[in-house]
Amino acid sequence: MSRRTCLNAAGIAVVLAVICVLPFVVRPYQLDFLIFLFINVILVVSYRLIAITGEFSLAHAVIMGVGAYASALLASLPISPWISMPLGGVAAAVIAYILSFPLFRMKGFYFLIGSFAAAEAIRLCWVQFNDPFGGFRGLRGIPVLEIDLGDLLYLDLGAPVPYYFFAMIVGLIFLTVMYRIEHSRFGFVFHAVHHKDTLAQSVGVDVRRYRTIAFVTGGFFAGIAGAMLAHYVTAINPGLFGLKQMLFVLVWVLVGGLGHFAGPIIGVTVLSIIDESLRGLDELRPGFYGLVLIATMLFLPDGLVSLPRKVMQWLVWLRKRGEGALARRE
Amino acid sequence: MKSSITRRKFMAATGGVAAGLTALGATPSKVFAGEKTVKIGFLAALTGDAAGWGLPGLYGVEIWAEQINAAGGLEMGGEKYMVEIISYDDEFDAVKATVGAKKLLFEDEVSIVLMLGVTPVLAVKDFMTRNKMLTTTLVPTDISADAPYLFAPVEVHPFYNVTAVDYIARNMPHIKTAAIATQNDELGLSSLATYRAAFEVAGIEIIEENLFGFEVTDFAPVVSKLIAANPDVITWDTAYPDYVNLLTEQAFLQGYKGQFVNCTLDQYDHILSKTSVEFLEGFLWQFPDLDDPIMQGPDTHFDNAAAFYKTYAERYPGAWTAVSWEYAAALEMWRAAVAAAGTFDPPTVAEQLRTLSPVPHAFGDAEWWGEQFFGVNSAALGKWPVVQMQNGKAVIVEMGDVRAWCDQHLDVLKKHFVELGVPLAG
Repeated sequence: MSRRTCLNAAGIAVVLAVICVLPFVVRPYQLDFLIFLFINVILVVSYRLIAITGEFSLAHAVIMGVGAYASALLASLPISPWISMPLGGVAAAVIAYILSFPLFRMKGFYFLIGSFAAAEAIRLCWVQFNDPFGGFRGLRGIPVLEIDLGDLLYLDLGAPVPYYFFAMIVGLIFLTVMYRIEHSRFGFVFHAVHHKDTLAQSVGVDVRRYRTIAFVTGGFFAGIAGAMLAHYVTAINPGLFGLKQMLFVLVWVLVGGLGHFAGPIIGVTVLSIIDESLRGLDELRPGFYGLVLIATMLFLPDGLVSLPRKVMQWLVWLRKRGEGALARRE
Repeated sequence: MKSSITRRKFMAATGGVAAGLTALGATPSKVFAGEKTVKIGFLAALTGDAAGWGLPGLYGVEIWAEQINAAGGLEMGGEKYMVEIISYDDEFDAVKATVGAKKLLFEDEVSIVLMLGVTPVLAVKDFMTRNKMLTTTLVPTDISADAPYLFAPVEVHPFYNVTAVDYIARNMPHIKTAAIATQNDELGLSSLATYRAAFEVAGIEIIEENLFGFEVTDFAPVVSKLIAANPDVITWDTAYPDYVNLLTEQAFLQGYKGQFVNCTLDQYDHILSKTSVEFLEGFLWQFPDLDDPIMQGPDTHFDNAAAFYKTYAERYPGAWTAVSWEYAAALEMWRAAVAAAGTFDPPTVAEQLRTLSPVPHAFGDAEWWGEQFFGVNSAALGKWPVVQMQNGKAVIVEMGDVRAWCDQHLDVLKKHFVELGVPLAG
């Protein structure tokens, strides 16, 4: 085992230990914040799975909503949420597959706009059809997850601490799966499709097929994230999956750094914490949040994930300057 | 010439500002050392599209708290308590509202939570019932039998809109046709159902309706279509404040000469500056300035209404809106219930609030109402003013009786709600 692998393993172990201890030291509302953070982590990493094929979709938040609505509606039949949640993911994947036919006839800017239009069409269906989607008000009273083994065990996952661990475990499993996909043969083809699609085509790669696979796979994970949200908040509405949420996903991914698996995770974590800690500023918050974004894009164009490398470069530069190897500017 | 600001200095300064602002954000707005304090939660949109119905309300609540504190505090059980307002921006988002409700209740331990309504309220409804969180909403269609701690103590939107139409029917007999335009969302639709009912009862025919989407940014075609139908009266229903501004400006530009009736006319000074005093003369809407002489009378229940309005106008010039006083008015009612209950304990205060009869509403005595509509009597319904623009100033022309109208025409109202698919309860 190389030194780098050991360090990575140690780092992951420390992070996991901290995550496991957190629910017992943070305050209740901070626990909710962390649960939503786990859900958003799944969302952004699944978005990156699509983005590494070279296309930026504006339908991802709505695909997440498809999972949420499907799971909520199935649970009202009633089907156990344990079954409706994965079915929600499947529904999201199916919708993503259907959308892929018209969308992957387009590329670049046209794909972006096309995905936005398709997403709005779905979202407006939720708004227009009170039955079964609940219109603007959406759906309420969505059942929470429970583990009921009779006298043996009963666990209400609607409570924050159990749901925190549920979201954490699901999140870790999904992150591992998505990491493995990206580092599999499929993943390498995704990157090839992004950077050299013509060359990939010339060696027999079906570019459209691989983009569809990424789109559907990312959709599935986003759908599960939506279902997780629905069964925790117990109320959903079309506004939760609108353009605003989609723009947040884009910002999290881009500010975190698209070029690295950890980039979107860092992006959503750092920006969510900043956003929450600035909440006391009331109406000044968006302005200050914007300043943080501008500063990040100016000084870290490869995203927050490149910060350690940048810091190392600055340190090397400072050391060399200290040694007189570089001419002083002033 | 060499710049005196290097990149490093810029970054250091930015970091300093960031640290300072973060520290500021983490600090409560006011701390009352050594004094007994009661905390009030404000959970509404302070940023985003719905901020126009949140932020002005927070300003109002802060002024209300200042007035109470300046007078020595809020009296409960023979003791005085300083009032502290703790706000949380829910961005009109269900997820943010869920987090905010938990923060306000468990961490800040507030005695009451003031909310705007609709999406955020629905998201936290089960939570508020489970945790007996006393909550107020400005949208009575949020209330339902399964939410005993949720009240609509001030605004009975959209039902009060009937009073201005009723005023037209009695005072402007030449008005026979109406045209309506508003955004296609829950606020717009529930208000549309109410205006349809009010116009039907008033014998006024609706000859044009336009429900526009949020993607609309050019209102010229919307207004052109309405004016082309040649209506006697136009209403923007309960359009968002920015939409009302733009639609009214368009009507002015396109030479409309008829009557207006509307739910709101927020920041009307701004609209006056974009149109003219003559154009807006006679405009009817539902939200008065609190310095109106009628609001100082013995039949209303808003302490120091004129002083409140004066402070607000001085501190936030041109920012007065429909909601500027409403959250504060909800607190006035809560104060009455606290005084009667002798405690801040939310379930006890909720119980006391429900037994108040008459309910001391800002616009006069009211009663709890809503069982036939929402399944529970949790909305304070009584009088509501009809406001008219006279020489560039809002003037209350009468206090309409919303309750009497609703009791008499409830079936018509329900019919239009059902027709438009607007839920009768949250």
